[in-house]
Amino acid sequence: MKKKIQWGKFSKPMILVAFVIILTILRPDSFPTLGNISNVLWSVSVYGIMVCGTIFVFLVGGIDLSIGSLCGLSAVVIVKTIHAFGDTEGGVAAGIMAALLVGALAGVIHGFVITKFKVPAFLVTFATSSIFLGLSMVLTNNKIISCLGPDLFTAIGMMKILGFPIPIYVMLIIAIVSWFVLRKTPFGRYMYAIGGNPAAARLSGINDTGLTFLAYIFSGISTALGGIVLASMTQQCMASTGSGYETEVITAAVIGGVSLLGGEGTVPGAIFGAVIIGLLNNGLNLMSVPSTEHGLVKGIVIIAAVAFDALQHQDQAKKGFSFFSFGKSKKTA
Amino acid sequence: MFKKIAAVLLAAATVFSLAGCTATSRTSATASGTTATASGTTAASSAAASNKTKKDPYTDSIKIAYIAHDLSTPNNQAWLEGIQRECASWSNIDVQSFNGESSAETQVQIMSDVINQKFDAIILQCSDGTALAPSVKQAEEAGIPVITLNLDADTIHSALVMAVDYDAGRMVADEMAKEMGETGNVVIIQGVAGLKRTDNLEKGFRDTLSSKYPNMKIVDAQSASFEKETAITVMNSFMQSHSDIKGVFCINDAMAEGAALAAQSAGKKGEMYIWGADGEKDALSMIESGDMAGTIYTNSWDEGSTAAKIALLMVGSDYSSSVLTATPQVIMEPVVVTKDTVSSISQEDRW
Repeated sequence: MKKKIQWGKFSKPMILVAFVIILTILRPDSFPTLGNISNVLWSVSVYGIMVCGTIFVFLVGGIDLSIGSLCGLSAVVIVKTIHAFGDTEGGVAAGIMAALLVGALAGVIHGFVITKFKVPAFLVTFATSSIFLGLSMVLTNNKIISCLGPDLFTAIGMMKILGFPIPIYVMLIIAIVSWFVLRKTPFGRYMYAIGGNPAAARLSGINDTGLTFLAYIFSGISTALGGIVLASMTQQCMASTGSGYETEVITAAVIGGVSLLGGEGTVPGAIFGAVIIGLLNNGLNLMSVPSTEHGLVKGIVIIAAVAFDALQHQDQAKKGFSFFSFGKSKKTA
Repeated sequence: MFKKIAAVLLAAATVFSLAGCTATSRTSATASGTTATASGTTAASSAAASNKTKKDPYTDSIKIAYIAHDLSTPNNQAWLEGIQRECASWSNIDVQSFNGESSAETQVQIMSDVINQKFDAIILQCSDGTALAPSVKQAEEAGIPVITLNLDADTIHSALVMAVDYDAGRMVADEMAKEMGETGNVVIIQGVAGLKRTDNLEKGFRDTLSSKYPNMKIVDAQSASFEKETAITVMNSFMQSHSDIKGVFCINDAMAEGAALAAQSAGKKGEMYIWGADGEKDALSMIESGDMAGTIYTNSWDEGSTAAKIALLMVGSDYSSSVLTATPQVIMEPVVVTKDTVSSISQEDRW
């Protein structure tokens, strides 16, 4: 048992490599370029940033449906704040703080209602989603508010360092932080424990109320960060900014092996899910597949990828046999 | 602009000459055919106005419902403002807006509520013309005139106020051909498939290129679902797979802005002719800054208030849509905006 190679662990990197190889063969000129890889990562960076915080909520067995409209609200808050400060650099700093604060506050509200009144997270976040959207509508008067400056603001979404736009670095940093917290601290292990078996976790002295609270706060903060990046990328905000993002984020997490029942999932897995979606969209665009057929192809490929991943885990658990039972383990990024 | 409003008002004052001068009937495009329809309407209207209560739009209390496709988009908002402005000077007129949230089911629900509450007129953008047709018919039968805005219903109703679609596509093609010297590669960023307006825009563009400019090649077309951030991604992949794009036609302005941002970030600002359609405020400033090449501008405020004028006119007349053989159309005047002409659109006309 100890000596066996954990194939299940490598199925996701294998899928990723397979994707890259297939797309490289199909589009040798346009796919494997630095510019294109940067575009793929850039296109999923907002989802990637959001999923790094929302994963905490999934781990404790909750769900956050409000992240789409909260993302929009934070975009509105940063743009409004920047305008209030007369488009200055100070305004950008204040705007970032304000948006993060709004995100954290949303988390506090979720945590409070969910743990104090024992209302299902699905209902609470569904309701707050509507509240946040309504707030954004009131704040923007249902109009697009553009924000073309100062440069510090537009740099967040657009500026490139070593060929990669800043959102990719933001995603990487928050992914590392969230991975570290989950993997290397007792706090992270408690999160898994609560999701896996709440009663047992409570009996063993874990403060599940407090940790659930924190999970929603993390979700709120990462969502706000996503909203800041999105506002900067599009140089504007409106009430419908970020609408539908909750579905994308939840999909990315689930593709990445995060269980919506709690207790299972990793940050690299969730990022993997987001990148797979990005690669799929990119591949369909590069191959000039008509948009009407995107949904069809995407659905089939996602099922195939997830089924392959699940198969690896099942085989591992059942008989220690794997679909890929050849020699060495390849470790890939 | 004032001239145009005056023209519309004049048209509105003389009820059925409206169909003759600004509106064309769907089935008969020729002027004489339209007049025939209109006069037929006049003759029959007094007889067929059975279930409609005529009201005086200056004194009686009137409720107008505006059912938007999605209230959070700038042109939906501009239409609402146009309607409100038109009705603002009369305290007896109450405008209520409803958000269709891009869903035909929601709109059907709202329609039945509005009909039950006996509104006097409905201004509607059909998220799905077929799905909304029974509701529109029901409203007209209940004596509530329905005026559709840009997005038509698949049933005969009081009026359709619309911005040009097929012709706008043609105009973009002509302008782009001029800029590109009638040769080069072109890509299209599409909206959501299945909406008549966006399909027509694209068709107008494609037809013109294939018939008039054989050396302009459409090398790719992908949807960005009307969204700016998605358009950035789509444009990025276009630039990866085609190194020599000269023209970009986006079905709406939000996507054109996204494409322009992508070009800017790739260091290709001004190297491509990026066109949108709608004429929203941000697009106009991007044309000024040279990020976008142009757009087809429609004054959405004006469009909204035109719809409101027609609604009030219907409320105050004996007219009933049951005598129509086709939905009368009022087509808003399109303005081709390029860097040279953008200054002609004054700040107060930018929605």
